[in-house]
Amino acid sequence: MSEPDSNTRDEDARYEAFVRLFAHHEAELRRFAGSFLPSWGDVDELMQRAALAMWRKFEQFDQDSQFIKWACVVTRFEALAYRRKMARDRHVFREDVLELMAEEAAEELEQRSAERDALESCLLAMPEKQRTFVMLAYTPGVKIKELAEEAGATSAAFYMRLKRLRSQLLECVEAKTLQAKETR
Amino acid sequence: MKEPRFDNLREEEREWIDALLNDEIDEPSFNELQQRLLQRPELRTVVRRSLALHHELQERAAETSDDSLHSWNEAAPHPEPDKIVPISATNDFRRFLPIAIAASLAFVFGLLFMSATNRDETNGSLAQTRPQTPPEDPEASAEGFAVVRNLFEARWPADQKALGEGESLGAETLRLEAGVAEIQFYSGATMVVEGPAEIAFKSAWEATCLEGAVRMRVPPAARGFRLHGPETEIVDLGTEFGLQVRDGAAHVEVIDGEISFKHRAEPERLVRKGGAWTLPVDANAQPGNQGQIAFPDAGNFSALAANRRRADFERWTRHRDTLAAKPDVIAYYTFDRVDPAALLASVAEPHNPELDGAVVLAETTAGRWPGMKQALEFRRPGSRVRVRIPGEFSAFTFAAWVRIDSLDRRYNALFMGDGYETGEPHWQIRDDGKLMLSVMVDDTRPNPHHAQDAGFHRVYYSPPIWEQSMSGQWMHLTSVFDPQRRQVTHHANGKRVSVQEIEEDYLIDTLRIGNGEIGNWGEPFRETPWFAIRNLNGRIDELVILDAALSESDIAQLYEDSRAGRP
Repeated sequence: MSEPDSNTRDEDARYEAFVRLFAHHEAELRRFAGSFLPSWGDVDELMQRAALAMWRKFEQFDQDSQFIKWACVVTRFEALAYRRKMARDRHVFREDVLELMAEEAAEELEQRSAERDALESCLLAMPEKQRTFVMLAYTPGVKIKELAEEAGATSAAFYMRLKRLRSQLLECVEAKTLQAKETR
Repeated sequence: MKEPRFDNLREEEREWIDALLNDEIDEPSFNELQQRLLQRPELRTVVRRSLALHHELQERAAETSDDSLHSWNEAAPHPEPDKIVPISATNDFRRFLPIAIAASLAFVFGLLFMSATNRDETNGSLAQTRPQTPPEDPEASAEGFAVVRNLFEARWPADQKALGEGESLGAETLRLEAGVAEIQFYSGATMVVEGPAEIAFKSAWEATCLEGAVRMRVPPAARGFRLHGPETEIVDLGTEFGLQVRDGAAHVEVIDGEISFKHRAEPERLVRKGGAWTLPVDANAQPGNQGQIAFPDAGNFSALAANRRRADFERWTRHRDTLAAKPDVIAYYTFDRVDPAALLASVAEPHNPELDGAVVLAETTAGRWPGMKQALEFRRPGSRVRVRIPGEFSAFTFAAWVRIDSLDRRYNALFMGDGYETGEPHWQIRDDGKLMLSVMVDDTRPNPHHAQDAGFHRVYYSPPIWEQSMSGQWMHLTSVFDPQRRQVTHHANGKRVSVQEIEEDYLIDTLRIGNGEIGNWGEPFRETPWFAIRNLNGRIDELVILDAALSESDIAQLYEDSRAGRP
């Protein structure tokens, strides 16, 4: 096989390195972005933009430093830039709030992944019926109002139930992760 | 400062968070919340945690939602996200709400109106979007402890599923009518069985020969492997022995090394190379003569198997030549020759160099006939074959021989149109083993369910056709997009596993490919880089794309003609 020219090879290698790093940290970055953007659609959009920005700037990335730290910085800048273009019908924090939230969020990556694991066990510990309800309420395209109407219940009752179960989950996650922190 | 916990927040702050998550917070409250966020670090911490949890739940629900529900969501018309459905529309609304949701609700509320809704005329559309055949028999795909390594002229009884090479065996009874099967246990022991035979598998370390002749080869690592006869337990202490059971009477011979056996209530006996014993059901063991029985010979068998493979491969080359000459073949890649410039030629006749693919990072490796045919492996995240396929088509059939090692990505690419523009296909496998085929219907029209998801399209899923215990096995996968019959079908190893209707709104009959990729998703940095890491951790040995909708029997035939290990 003849050698491909060295430019292509370098590009391939760089691309490979980037994809590897990105794939490895993607879930973590998503959790990061998801902790300061209320809308899931915005998280999606931001991740696309951030990934693109990271690839463009990848040459500037110092291979000896931590990719995830660098990625959080790029994502934070992208979030601020994207904020100006975001759809107005969605709730987005104003610039000073967003900046502060994102900055602090970058220090909580470990906490986020601990919470994710905790959520897993909290969901499992829940009675089946409650878990089904939560999952149903969170199913894409499903609206609480519609669910409630179909079931002949008031949407207020539905919201109350969701609210109660969600805070139960949140408190369970907090109990598990904050406790773990104290005993460390 | 109090510990940052939800419970320690003020009442109104908890309310705001809840309204924010429900996307129902009003402007004044949202402003107040933001003001408070600037002042109170513990509130910021809890809000971040709440949002992260909220998104995590969204992601989980999207992934684990019942599939009929899921496919419904992608297929059916849906009210505008934020439009409130008027009360008077409740009856019409029934048509929109999937029965699956109704069923879940029935469960949640303990109301059983499932049977009533089943008679509902609106049920029809749901039934059509459901796969018509259930997922593969779970038994067949259960995690095993042995694998069928080779088959030679094997015939199976009519009431037993025919086994193929590479299939795993769990705790089950194998009946072989004729021919020879070589079984490799995960302990390292190898069993060669000649039919007619009936063998019960117990574990990687234990089996029972109920009928037939077997030869065991036990390497040092598998010493202690136990084989049972009708009244005898044989423990292999190394190397090779044979056991024959005919009409309940057993005969054992040690070919090499030694064994110990315990017959009925008799004391244990040690037998060395050359020893032979007859083991009647109703009497004591008696010394016998070696060479009384012709045990299947592993050496012979591998020579036969090699011959068979060669014949098989030659048959496949004839199949390839026939297929390559068919006029409706758009492109056909067999991956067995990658030229020095990393070009992969389409073998479709007449040869059109336009269709030659560029191999990027994918590595050539052994194909279905090691030593005779190559395949490409797409293990590295950047690996792919880039192709350009011009033209307009009226249907698509994608058929490939694929060896999946694991489904590492959420979506694992088989063949993907680059930009996913109108008329372009995406053929892939989701991490739960479901085949997916979709064609972009209109890339300028928003997707009604995912505002972020590019364009109007629908994904047609099969039931799971792969799971981890099938890792490393070659499989034939076929999916058909048939605008004329308005259906999408998925097939695994020649068998149809699902049929779904293409609804009016999702009908498109001018199909294109343009730039595309095998084993990954192309030009990732143009649009959505992170989403584009879809390399298939596995190998592809053959891929054909046709401008035709092959029928169920065409596909069964295609599978038969191209597969290895035929009787």
